[in-house]
Amino acid sequence: MKQNLVKLLVVIMMIMITGIANSRDDFEDAMLKARKSLTEASEKNDEALLKKARGQFERILQLKKDPWLVNYYIALADYSLSMTGSASNDTKTVKQYTESGISTLQKSIDLKPDFVESYILMKALNFNRWQYEQEKMQEIISATSAADVEASKLEPENPRYVLLNGISSYYTPESFGGGMNNAIPNLEKSIDLFSKRKEKSELYPEWGKDLAYGYLAMALVKRNDDGDMTKAKDMIDEGIKLFPSSGFISEYVMSEYKKSQSK
Amino acid sequence: MKLLLICLLVITGTLSAQTGDSGNTKSPTKIFGTVKGEKDSLIEGANIVIEGTIDGATTDEKGNYEFETEQAGSKNIIITAIGYAENIMMIEIESGKEMNVNIKLTKDEVKTEEILVTASSYTSGTNAAVTLTPLEIVRIPGADADLYRAITTFPGSNQVNEGSRITVRGGDPDEVLTVLDLASLYNPFIFDETFNVSSYSTINPWGLKGINFTSGGFSAKYGNVLSAVLDLKSYDMPQGSGMFAWVGLANASLSGVYLSRDGKFGGSFSAGKLFLQPYLAINGEYSEYSPIPESNQIGGTLSYKLGTSSNLKAYANYSDDKVGIRNQSPSFDGFYESSSNSYFGNVKLITGLDNSTVLNAGISISKYDRDYSYGLIKSDQKDIYAKGRVDITKQINNKIELNTGLEYEYDGYDLTGIFPQYQYNIRPGAQSFGIDTAQNSGRAGIYAETQIKPSDDFFVIPGIRTDYHTLSGKFSFDPRLSFGYRLSEHNIVRGALGYYHQYPGIENYLRAEENDLDAQNAIHYILGYEFNSGGDILFRVEGYYKDYSNLVLTNPVNFLYTSEGEGNVKGVDMFFKVKIKNKFTGWISYAYTDSKRKQYEATKLVPANYDITNNLSVVGSYNATEQLVLGAAFRVSTGKPYTPVIASEFVKLQEAYKPIYAEINSGRFPTYTTLDMNAQYIFSLFGKFAVGVIAVNNVFNKKNLYNYTYNVDYSQRIETYSNNRRSFYAGLGLQL
Repeated sequence: MKQNLVKLLVVIMMIMITGIANSRDDFEDAMLKARKSLTEASEKNDEALLKKARGQFERILQLKKDPWLVNYYIALADYSLSMTGSASNDTKTVKQYTESGISTLQKSIDLKPDFVESYILMKALNFNRWQYEQEKMQEIISATSAADVEASKLEPENPRYVLLNGISSYYTPESFGGGMNNAIPNLEKSIDLFSKRKEKSELYPEWGKDLAYGYLAMALVKRNDDGDMTKAKDMIDEGIKLFPSSGFISEYVMSEYKKSQSK
Repeated sequence: MKLLLICLLVITGTLSAQTGDSGNTKSPTKIFGTVKGEKDSLIEGANIVIEGTIDGATTDEKGNYEFETEQAGSKNIIITAIGYAENIMMIEIESGKEMNVNIKLTKDEVKTEEILVTASSYTSGTNAAVTLTPLEIVRIPGADADLYRAITTFPGSNQVNEGSRITVRGGDPDEVLTVLDLASLYNPFIFDETFNVSSYSTINPWGLKGINFTSGGFSAKYGNVLSAVLDLKSYDMPQGSGMFAWVGLANASLSGVYLSRDGKFGGSFSAGKLFLQPYLAINGEYSEYSPIPESNQIGGTLSYKLGTSSNLKAYANYSDDKVGIRNQSPSFDGFYESSSNSYFGNVKLITGLDNSTVLNAGISISKYDRDYSYGLIKSDQKDIYAKGRVDITKQINNKIELNTGLEYEYDGYDLTGIFPQYQYNIRPGAQSFGIDTAQNSGRAGIYAETQIKPSDDFFVIPGIRTDYHTLSGKFSFDPRLSFGYRLSEHNIVRGALGYYHQYPGIENYLRAEENDLDAQNAIHYILGYEFNSGGDILFRVEGYYKDYSNLVLTNPVNFLYTSEGEGNVKGVDMFFKVKIKNKFTGWISYAYTDSKRKQYEATKLVPANYDITNNLSVVGSYNATEQLVLGAAFRVSTGKPYTPVIASEFVKLQEAYKPIYAEINSGRFPTYTTLDMNAQYIFSLFGKFAVGVIAVNNVFNKKNLYNYTYNVDYSQRIETYSNNRRSFYAGLGLQL
């Protein structure tokens, strides 16, 4: 009897522990689920799925826990949505989600001004403004510079910060200080930093590694110096191996690579 | 057994704790429906959530949503979508049942800034009603990166003699006030008022964070101005650090900006030189020069951030110019020689007094010296202006803002020289008289206005100001009113009316009896309509009427100036601007003006000096590639009025012919047209950012008339053409 009671107590304790743990994990569970949805949607570059993922984060705001982090992810979803507009040359969509992203991210920064990822994303969002309001050149430069200064002050070796510098150089003409020769070292460094990185919390952002492989491959294809094409193919293969569901690498980057080969 | 009971109680308690609002939680309820916007448009990506939970869904491309919840009872659902106002609805959830909840959202437009643009305003900045940007200024063909020339592509304003001085709605050029960071700028030009040499502005458009050009109905904070205000705000701090060099066929410059790492200190400098030899060698000389026009400019700023909401900024600028140009007039054929130098300094403080109150204060001084000689005329004129100003803005609540301020301005005028006794005889040795005179005056002004915004769709700004002029001892009193009303999402009506006074230039008081000249008065009536799609398409049409009184008029008996002049102007301005993605920006502006004045020597209402009846500008800029931008601008306008000579008589004593004039401004110059084109190419030079510009002005080499002159006895009219004929310019800028 005593043995049975002990067994029962153990079972009860297990139920209690699980229950308490579950009640504490509502927010984390929801965040992890939403982030998974966002990652999958981003990998597929699917606008409808991205909107759904954004909605998941919006609903998590109702739990009133760490709203700065939730808002960060909403802004990240906005950024991904703006990129779908960018791919289809739909400046209205780019503008709509970029502006929403900037205002949402500002709420996050107001609540937690020392979160480096916010400034990295803020820089990326402001960079998007070139696509629809080039005439506000000075304001854009000012906003991207301000975000850049904060990010470099907080964590200059953040792989996403280095990645963004690489992507920025990739799209910026050499005459404006960009170009492939500036992009490639940053993208290589970013991959290296990603491989060494461990986030402080499992809820913190983890995006970008697939982009680093993809952009490095594309930058190598564009530069096309001796040996660059082979290295680009290696990056694509490695990227697909690590991120088999990434449409960005398997479709977009691969097609750029094939186009270049057929020339 | 006891222990078992305790355990069961614990289990029960734990399970209760897990379910939270156990009293309201029943079997799942399915909630579904559609989210629609205005005119039943389907909204994709709208988010629906039960308040305080994560139960909810996102709408699909048909606006449909569906989710299950175990919540029950009265609950708020929150519906959000980008671009729409948040909607909160209370619903009664019946456990286990299906509920159809259809939702309607209304657009959440950013209306405030857009609606607050006042009538007749063309602005730069961050709101959706932006009509002019620094990038456009440097890209407008024919504007030569000059702010004032760019503004003349907007309705209501015209260039004076193809230079940078502007006239607005038929008024005189000195009826346009330029304000830079609270300071009044009276001579921001080189080659100002120089015979057949185009003037240029010394203001760098890239240093400006805000440009607001108002061609009428402006705020009560602007005093002593009759027609228009160009209000410029420079950046409180430089936007980064760097240097830029420019070398062109006619000019070279070097500029730099510096911002300290902590963002608390910044500075900038610019230096430039104008040299026309290469430019004239390529394009040809249409006049004889001695010396060829030359100019120098140097300036800079220093900024210091005193605190989170306080900033101190000092600005200084110097410029000079020199030119000799041959001109033939009936009594003299020789060189018109002119030189000037201009100094300007300004210190501005901006500080937040509390969370809702901002104080702006500034002091400025400017000095302008100009010498010119032609025939027997030798003139040396000096103007000194000093100004102190304080403005306070108080946000009373989100619907009311109070603006008030005061200013004092000193104006000193000094003229020495030799002038002809008879205007028609300037031959050296002819009868002349000497002038050595000085005069000064002060003006104190105070204003208050309230910006009232009862709703997002309506604003009204009543304002009042009064000024006192120390030289004449006269007061002026200006009540003003401006309003705007949004008819629907993209349609806005704006209007303004009020009194606007400007004291005559100080030199006029030298010809008045006991300085008895009143402030000249204009009553503005403006009503306009605007369609604004949100930035890509903008259409404006505006009608106006201005009633002038107290204009300066010559007494035909004693030839002294009085305030008996009068006049009126009526007109319509139209503006259509379109932006197609980032590829094309263009606009068409048209202005109809009918301006009549009885002023100075006129004996009745006659066309005003700058009564340009029709004025059309078409401007386009096309981004051919990411690196190449092509632009073209076409302008056509009615010729300006002039006073023809109809006969002459020989005056033996003077050994010269005296012209006999027809009625003032009864003649008109031929129609003015010009087509200008340019291309800008961005590339890399020595690994640095570089930009190359080529421009062709007056592509069809139209000979636009500058002036008429006459032979010795006035029997033959001779056309003097503008020197702005077809010209080619190339320049290269390099980041250092």
